[in-house]
Amino acid sequence: MTKQLTQERSKFVDFLLEYLVLFVIVGLVIVTAIVEPAFLSQRNFTNLMRQFGALSFVALGMTFIIMGGFIDLSVPGMISIIAMVTLSLVDIIGEIPAMMIGLLLGTMLGTLNGSLLVNVGANTQAKALFITFGMSQIYRALALILTGGFSMNWGTLFAHPMPVTRALGSGMWGPLSISFWLFIFFLVVLYIFQSKTFLGRAITYTGGNLTAAELGGIPTKRIVIFIYALGGFMVAVGSIVLFSRVSVTVPAIGDFFERDAIMAVVIGGTSLLGGKGSVIRTFMGVALVILMSNCMNLLGVQTHVQEVVRGIILVLAIWLDHRRHARG
Amino acid sequence: MNLNVQALGAQALNILNKQKAVVAIAIIFIVMIFPDTNFYTAGNFSNLLEAVSTNAIIAFGVTLAVICKGCDLSVGSVMVMAGIIAIMLLNSGMNMALAIILAILSGSVVGFINGFLIVHQKSEAFIITLGMGMLVQGIALLLSNARHVSASDPNFQRIANDNWFGIPNIAAFMIVFGVLVFLLLRFTSFGRNLYALGGDYEVAEHSGINVLRTKWLAFVLTGTFAAVAGVLAASRFNTGIPIAGVDIPLMVNCGVVIGGTSFAGGVGGVPQSFIGIFVIFLLRNAMSMIGIHPNVQMLVLGIMIVAIISLDCFAIKRKKEAV
Repeated sequence: MTKQLTQERSKFVDFLLEYLVLFVIVGLVIVTAIVEPAFLSQRNFTNLMRQFGALSFVALGMTFIIMGGFIDLSVPGMISIIAMVTLSLVDIIGEIPAMMIGLLLGTMLGTLNGSLLVNVGANTQAKALFITFGMSQIYRALALILTGGFSMNWGTLFAHPMPVTRALGSGMWGPLSISFWLFIFFLVVLYIFQSKTFLGRAITYTGGNLTAAELGGIPTKRIVIFIYALGGFMVAVGSIVLFSRVSVTVPAIGDFFERDAIMAVVIGGTSLLGGKGSVIRTFMGVALVILMSNCMNLLGVQTHVQEVVRGIILVLAIWLDHRRHARG
Repeated sequence: MNLNVQALGAQALNILNKQKAVVAIAIIFIVMIFPDTNFYTAGNFSNLLEAVSTNAIIAFGVTLAVICKGCDLSVGSVMVMAGIIAIMLLNSGMNMALAIILAILSGSVVGFINGFLIVHQKSEAFIITLGMGMLVQGIALLLSNARHVSASDPNFQRIANDNWFGIPNIAAFMIVFGVLVFLLLRFTSFGRNLYALGGDYEVAEHSGINVLRTKWLAFVLTGTFAAVAGVLAASRFNTGIPIAGVDIPLMVNCGVVIGGTSFAGGVGGVPQSFIGIFVIFLLRNAMSMIGIHPNVQMLVLGIMIVAIISLDCFAIKRKKEAV
């Protein structure tokens, strides 16, 4: 009897820990809505949706990289070089082709990262961290050299009207913004990919145990290259959404995106140890990160206190993740 | 006697073989003879030495973490926070020695928390220290209100900027701390145990080494050294800059690896780390002297980091395949 009770309770605790982020989101919404009713206004909702923008796409790509047991710090450099190249091409080849080239460039840079890691035998997260950091420096430097360090403003700089960019940046379709629809599209596609396809399952196996996956006949090297390519593609999408929204693009536009993306993924509950996770969880993680800053802003928390709170939450999330998965 | 000399010679050759960074340094020195610059002047070298010093002190601490198969990415933020704490305590009228000691202790506290999370709770070192770095960066911004803070006491500036028999004080500090860590690694059981548990954690644990305490202490020391460097840097510029530490952690960790302290754990030491940091700063200095644009410098440094870490990984892979 007693044993049963404790089992029941531990099941409940497990459930609570597993979906902690959901409870935190609900709690945060309730508290903020009571203290500051403006939180529930239509305007704040639109605002929140727009903030989903770039970060959510980058985080979706990062989910697969982390699920595969790796990590990618090259995001800031990639965002910067993709935005700069795409914007420089707009006047030459038109808006849509420029964006296509941007997406292609992102995929290529991701592939480059992945093949470099695979070929030098960087099979742990720590090694991948340092190499992708170096790659980020290289991409950022290239972006700076290409543009001479100048900022670009698509609102005034280009002869073309840019309807797609404008729509991505501020357009609405029904109750939701167009960038949010795009996010939902990618979320659904990637969720189906992750749970229903062989490749999606293979990524999880690779992250769970690299050696076992390799012995089990999964082409782990190609998987690693693939997750980085996918990550690069999503970074390119994020980069395009980002410059659509902010209109003025500086070479440092992507700074701290890697940090926030990793934070969103880990807070969502995708394990840094690899092999466990889901894009749905990342969606919750992104929602929490964005809600958190929105709520703290509405509640009038000082900017630097917010930074500390964010740091504490990140450390706590990583700590809980390791406690949960390392011993379970 | 003769044998001894021969053995020493062989050892030197061996070190040179492992130390490709030394070759890089030699190449830079030779190349810099040709262009007409101020590279070979006393002023430049003392500048270079001062710039290297604080980073080298951080690197000595990071060496301890890397030897036991960890790494510490919170050092940049710890450095900045310690500098700001020292200056703010000083400005609030506290005794200088006490203010500095408290600032350094703040670094030890961060190191202690890092150690708790990594060693006791078995979190992955690099990601948890990345998170701690963010947290500490936030604290530094909060304390300073994101402004530069300057010490009102002119004596604070003198700690780093005075000369000591012609050697800049800050370089003297670096030498003292370097020798200290070197002795710690070579002649104490703590140092020996650190190498042992970096080489193989399980074996070290089963041979009766208190692995928890040893590794934990390594992280505390890493935090402490970062804080010492922070106080010295703050004293050097007489300013605490809350965002100065953003690039430092990855740069210093890479520098340590460039020197030959491998992520595989169990190898490396103080001289290697110093050489690794020195080569980064020498390259920067030389490129500035020739007049290479900062953006291109960033590119070259990025390529160097990728190349060196890749080579390290490649060497580990080869070694595994050979076994």
